[in-house]
Amino acid sequence: MHSSKTDQLIADYLHRVRLALEHLTPSRRDEIIEDLIQHITEARSHFSSDSEAELRTLLDHLGSPAEIAEAAGVRPHTRKIEPWVPWMLLFGAFVFFVGWLIGLIMLWSSRTWRLRDKLLGTLIWPGGLLLPFMLLGLPVSSQSCEGTSSGGSIHCTPHGVLPEPLGAVIGIVTFLAPILVAVHLDRVRRRRAV
Amino acid sequence: MGQLRRGVAEYCVLALLKAGEGYGFDLARTLSEAHIVASEGTIYPLLSRLRREGLVSTVWRQSELGPARRYYVLTEMGSQVLDEFTPRWQSFRNTVDRILQGERPASKE
Repeated sequence: MHSSKTDQLIADYLHRVRLALEHLTPSRRDEIIEDLIQHITEARSHFSSDSEAELRTLLDHLGSPAEIAEAAGVRPHTRKIEPWVPWMLLFGAFVFFVGWLIGLIMLWSSRTWRLRDKLLGTLIWPGGLLLPFMLLGLPVSSQSCEGTSSGGSIHCTPHGVLPEPLGAVIGIVTFLAPILVAVHLDRVRRRRAV
Repeated sequence: MGQLRRGVAEYCVLALLKAGEGYGFDLARTLSEAHIVASEGTIYPLLSRLRREGLVSTVWRQSELGPARRYYVLTEMGSQVLDEFTPRWQSFRNTVDRILQGERPASKE
């Protein structure tokens, strides 16, 4: 029977390969992992004993997760424009909206970001910071006034679309969200570029 | 050498499969022992790519001991790609040989 030590080594190795192949499609990643498992199983069946040394040699021969990822084309394909993409999404809309659109196209055609990141970058917010700036122009609360001007007393009561504090919180969040998403996209890119 | 090996590894896979379907493990061992691939594991992303490009297909076979195994089979398209590569490689190899021996390559005029 296989010892738990060697099983653990294999599990660790496969886990590291899985991480290295993180941004392949799941079906491609699973296919490669499945083949590696088959390979290891096959090799182990030829082992004289299930020794740690033999297993380590086998894993060395298989190659490092980085080598396997490179063979899978996970090379950092960072194009020169990619560092700009998060900021184009954030501010690009102020340039006749075109900047944001270009950023969006770059985002989706890139292999640096995963689907999750691409969705985040697209949905928060379409137009980046332009949307919160436009919302700023909208009245958060309206006032209605009663009374007669001739009587001198005018009674004004604010009818907030939203209660004041909640409106402020939503306003801040609306501003912060796209900035945080841009920072996130930038960090993902930096991590991939290593 | 790394770049060169990487470039020819896929044709070596196709050539090995010309003789008949191949088991990933055997392909990996063969190409690694021949130093065509730097490490055995890199053959699997390559096989996965060849499969997506339609140059090889896969078939599962029950093995007598242990679980079913995935075998790789050369497709019609893979066979064509290999046939196109072979004369090109021979001409390329001859040219490189001549240059390495100090001859000037024959210019095609």
